[in-house]
Amino acid sequence: MEFFERFAVPHPSPAIYASMVAIGLVVIAIIAGLTYFKKWGYLWREWLTTVDHKRIGIMYLISALIMLFRGGVDAVMMRAQLSAPENTLLDAQHYNEIFTTHGVVMIIFMAMPFIFALMNIVVPLQIGARDVAFPRLNALSFWLFFMGAMLFNISFVVGGSPDAGWTSYFPLAGNDFSTSVGTNYYMLAIQISGIGSLMTGINMITTILRMRAPGMTLMKMPMFTWSTFIANVIIVFAFPVLTVALAMGTMDRLFGTQFFTMENGGMDMLWANLFWVWGHPEVYILILPAFGIYSEVISTFSRKNLYGYKSMVASMVVISLMSFLVWVHHFFTMGQGALTNSIFSITTMAIAVPTGVKIFNWLLTMYKGKITITTPMLYSLLFIPLFTLGGVTGVMLAMSAADYQYHNTMFLVAHFHNVIIPGVVFAMLAGLTYYWPKMFGFMLNEKIGKWTAWLLSIGFLLAFMPMYITGLDGQARRMYTYSEATGFGTLNMISFVGAIIMAVGFALIVYNVYYSTRYASRDISSDPWDARTLEWSTHNPVPEYNFAIVPEVKSSQALWDAKKEGHNLFKGKYEEIHMPNNSGAPFLMSVVFFIWGFAMIFSLWIPAIIATIGIFAFMAHRSFEQDHGHHISVKEIEETETKMRGAK
Amino acid sequence: MKMDHSLPLEYSTDQNKLNILGFWIFLGAEIMLFATLFASYFTLANRTGNGPTGAEIFEITPVLIETFLLLTSSFTIGLGIHAMRLGKQKAMLTFFSVTLLLGLAFLGVEIYEFVHYVHVGAGLQTSAFTSILLTTLGTHGAHVTLGLFWGLFIILQIKKRGLTPQTANKSFIFSLYWHFLDVVWIFIFSFIYLKGMM
Amino acid sequence: MKELFPAKQVLGFAFSILLTVVALAVIFLDMSFQMGMLILLVTAFVQAGVQLIVFMHAGETEDRPAIYTNIYYGVIIAIVTVLGTLLTMVWDM
Repeated sequence: MEFFERFAVPHPSPAIYASMVAIGLVVIAIIAGLTYFKKWGYLWREWLTTVDHKRIGIMYLISALIMLFRGGVDAVMMRAQLSAPENTLLDAQHYNEIFTTHGVVMIIFMAMPFIFALMNIVVPLQIGARDVAFPRLNALSFWLFFMGAMLFNISFVVGGSPDAGWTSYFPLAGNDFSTSVGTNYYMLAIQISGIGSLMTGINMITTILRMRAPGMTLMKMPMFTWSTFIANVIIVFAFPVLTVALAMGTMDRLFGTQFFTMENGGMDMLWANLFWVWGHPEVYILILPAFGIYSEVISTFSRKNLYGYKSMVASMVVISLMSFLVWVHHFFTMGQGALTNSIFSITTMAIAVPTGVKIFNWLLTMYKGKITITTPMLYSLLFIPLFTLGGVTGVMLAMSAADYQYHNTMFLVAHFHNVIIPGVVFAMLAGLTYYWPKMFGFMLNEKIGKWTAWLLSIGFLLAFMPMYITGLDGQARRMYTYSEATGFGTLNMISFVGAIIMAVGFALIVYNVYYSTRYASRDISSDPWDARTLEWSTHNPVPEYNFAIVPEVKSSQALWDAKKEGHNLFKGKYEEIHMPNNSGAPFLMSVVFFIWGFAMIFSLWIPAIIATIGIFAFMAHRSFEQDHGHHISVKEIEETETKMRGAK
Repeated sequence: MKMDHSLPLEYSTDQNKLNILGFWIFLGAEIMLFATLFASYFTLANRTGNGPTGAEIFEITPVLIETFLLLTSSFTIGLGIHAMRLGKQKAMLTFFSVTLLLGLAFLGVEIYEFVHYVHVGAGLQTSAFTSILLTTLGTHGAHVTLGLFWGLFIILQIKKRGLTPQTANKSFIFSLYWHFLDVVWIFIFSFIYLKGMM
Repeated sequence: MKELFPAKQVLGFAFSILLTVVALAVIFLDMSFQMGMLILLVTAFVQAGVQLIVFMHAGETEDRPAIYTNIYYGVIIAIVTVLGTLLTMVWDM
């Protein structure tokens, strides 16, 4: 019996028991459904073993949306708890768990897969490639992310959620103060998905450097590809830091090392330092692809070339270097001297400059353009003022002396939501709407889409503007309640109303998918937005091989120029196409990683050792394996192309 | 599969070129991995708690042996790649085998060193300094161990399949990995051992 | 037999041994900490450069700019991380 006690949740509540039942029922329903409709084979052949970047992208997208709702439920629960003074909806422990999982889920398991989804779907198409450089590795990246996410999400029903904040600072996250296995989940689940992210970084950089269509020099790449490239450079150099930090944290918790302890020379502050050496570049990993989406959308719907292409590229290159030079601003109050704080204050203010350059470029792209306000464009238009507001409060926070007032208050919470929601989330929703026809062959409903954009913006303002005020008045973050005498009650109630409105907005997205799947016309062209780049020059939905003939490119707006000047992008005739084979190994290997992570979390050493051997066995198998892929014959290509053209 | 005969075998296909560039980028990530360990080491090097300091436990002899073993193995794998480019499969396999034997000897000395540290009371759990010391050395050692298996697999594949674009590509990438481990060792040798004994 | 030992690589190996011996001076000769660190920094980085250019063939294909940019970028970020961490955690704490 003692063996099983470790899997019990330390702080159970009716909500957690209800979740257990719900999870059980959903799993049973999925298994029953797959069996009843005889879809196991389809699932395995078409999805679990796929190495096609488009399908992997769609799987990232589905995971990201599911995680958005998981994190969103956490958010609504937090706002509900804080909506009135001395509320007892949640106790302190549950509140701790919920703000921790909200942060981790939203950053690592929602925002990251969302940008990976768009990168995977768009980048190979945008550069005229047939897949990414390492398709098998791409599948492994996805499955590692997915298993990491699943591992993290079972924490609240098996063994208990992490509760030391998404930053998991030591000594709070050490064994003395976090006695449950929650923080082990944090360390290992993020580790597993982080390895996947690093692999994606290597994959995308190689793809962009070596697989561009003929004629597409670096300075003729579309802006989303540029932003993806820079974001992945940051991933490659930032994620190893997280890998090491998490490994050290894991060893402290499981093997009794002394890195972040309070005795024998251990230094808890080193964790905060390493966490933010990764954590600040991570912010730019998320925002740069978002900027890329806005650049595409604004240029398309202003019917103009992007203003200041070179300065856009230059600003991203500068950001990629500077993002590694500002991390200390996350802990100005930790006790280092004025010299250090001053240096990092200045670098932090300086990094606002290249971001400002980009804002002006977007404004100037729209200037004198023929603007059509579609849903993606509406998100972009709402983004500019709302994001600027967040940027300006960021400069306020950059001043280290003033930060002593703002630090760990709701002001900070308002600031980073102010940059992440209009910055990243709006961009992802704009990208989702914009690329939906490319993925699924029909458009999302514009009317519902615009309602969503407005509801999210209004909800956002109501939810987060009051936090700036209560934060300046001294409401601390991560406190599960406050007294009536503070007078924070009304403003927090407004925040709660805003959170509900945002929840309605996100629910509308689901409704929109349902509505459009049922009613939207399938009779759309391959270029429904009258767009400018290569991804719109192939069929909808995209055939397995992306392009029957590799396009030849003359500018960063290849398709637009081809349309205007009437020249043909696809010269030459069909040739046999070489494509990679599907493989079950990435999925199975990730399952073994999941088992490894789970065993480590609960200190089950024998299964952990077996799983470790299993992981190496997969690597050995890969070394000896000979997989030359397969060829698609000219006849097959002709058949597919004729059918696709007919379908249009 | 398109072949380009103007370049060495390991670069001869598009996928081979992708693999080599991809591995270089992976090495970029490895630079940061070890840089993080070094940053942590320098931060914690003087935080010895009740445990010994570096100067008290470091011994120059095994460290010098390790250094010369690894430097020589880096030289021999370079010769292995040179032989591969000359198409001399037998010489190449000899150099690869010598490299792995040197790597194995390195690992043997490192294990001796670890046993010695634990013996003199500098275990993984003793102090922040010993934790980060053993973790940094251990990470490098784990890379070497992985390399030994990897190199062995490549030798077996070349014996079975001969020098093909695939096996040549794997061998070249393995040589990059092995040289990189030597570079990391040079930094460990200089900034952990020599600085610690200075 | 001779063709198996190209002069460039043999010289590179000899040079790396030499650098190692020079680095050893810091523990066998009496010198200041600053001087010792200077010697170690020079020998370690030169040694790394020898490996990169002589043995790793970093500059032999059209990917040369990408490979060098990657390495320089990595080294710069690595140095910034190490020095920044030391500044924050040790020198200015």
